[in-house]
Amino acid sequence: MVNINATLIAQILNFLFLVFILAKFVYKPLLNVMEARKNKIASDLEAADTAKVEAEAVKAEYAAKLADARQEAQAIIENARKNAQAAHDKIMAETKAEQDQVVAAAKEAIELEKQKALADVRAQVISLSMLAASKIVEQKLGSEEDKKMAGEIVDSIINK
Amino acid sequence: MGNEAAEHSGELIHYLATEVAPGFVVHMQTMYMTWITMAIVFMLIFFAAKNPKMVPSGVQNVVEFFIDFLNELMEGQLGIKGRKYMAPFIITLFMFIFISNELGLLPQVGVHWTSPTNDVNTCFALSLTVAIGVHIIGICQKGFSHYKHYVSPSPAFLPLHLLDELVKPMTMALRLFGNILAGEILLIVLYQLAPWIVPELWVMFSLVIGFLQAFIFTMLTLTSFALAFAHH
Repeated sequence: MVNINATLIAQILNFLFLVFILAKFVYKPLLNVMEARKNKIASDLEAADTAKVEAEAVKAEYAAKLADARQEAQAIIENARKNAQAAHDKIMAETKAEQDQVVAAAKEAIELEKQKALADVRAQVISLSMLAASKIVEQKLGSEEDKKMAGEIVDSIINK
Repeated sequence: MGNEAAEHSGELIHYLATEVAPGFVVHMQTMYMTWITMAIVFMLIFFAAKNPKMVPSGVQNVVEFFIDFLNELMEGQLGIKGRKYMAPFIITLFMFIFISNELGLLPQVGVHWTSPTNDVNTCFALSLTVAIGVHIIGICQKGFSHYKHYVSPSPAFLPLHLLDELVKPMTMALRLFGNILAGEILLIVLYQLAPWIVPELWVMFSLVIGFLQAFIFTMLTLTSFALAFAHH
């Protein structure tokens, strides 16, 4: 059952023959494909990593740009608000000034009218009182001295 | 092949010893089974490698599984350079022993299947090929400085190293031989004792043993070859 004989040599030759045949004709393409696949996977993973890093960089850049844009927009809005406020203030001031002017002019006109009316009233009262006085004393008082005296009386009454 | 002869020989395991030339006795049963094993290994790897695809499927997938597994072991023991150099030998060795071990477990219908590795000659042929191969590859790789490891760590270890050189192929061969032969004998005995179910359980177990023994033999081969590629 356990004889060592020429089978040993035959088996060595058989095995070496199989190794030779396979090594010569078969293994190369298979091992090459396996090696190529391994390299491809490694390079793909590396490329994926690179792409990821790049994408992150781009993302960060966009975020920075977005922040800048937002800040700029904020600045523009702030500026516009300031301008509007200034314009508003200016218009208000102008309006106020104009209004004051109009009021002042109106007051002046009123005062003028008042003076004029008073003068009219004064003249009427003078002549009226002259008439009344002349009727009272039943004599015509027409001299300048009388008129002056009557005026003083009327003035004293008005200014009372 | 061999069924009738087996019955006539009266042996439990028979080898069909034939004198093919004066003085050259060859176990023909072992030879037939070896050729079948060689054919299977060749076909398996040939069909896997015939039109290799980037995305593997079918036979290519199966063979690549084994090759990948062996590649990792080789890279650990021999380094990348050693792997590229030794891959054809190691892959063939593993596949040959693996298929050999499983061959004897096929149903004995029409053909009397035996494992080529149940013949001590086959096991010694493989272990001697490895032992001699280590010397050849060692000299090819490192010149005669390959033999420096015989006197390391000190020349006093020389006898131990020489003994190791002798014992290593013997243990490798006899471990494989013993496991496979014992498995087949037990299978025959079990078929006679309990023809149903029990032998099938043992066949399942033997299939695992077949893989395991192929793995152990390959692993020991790799540790031997590691010396040829190691840098001091």
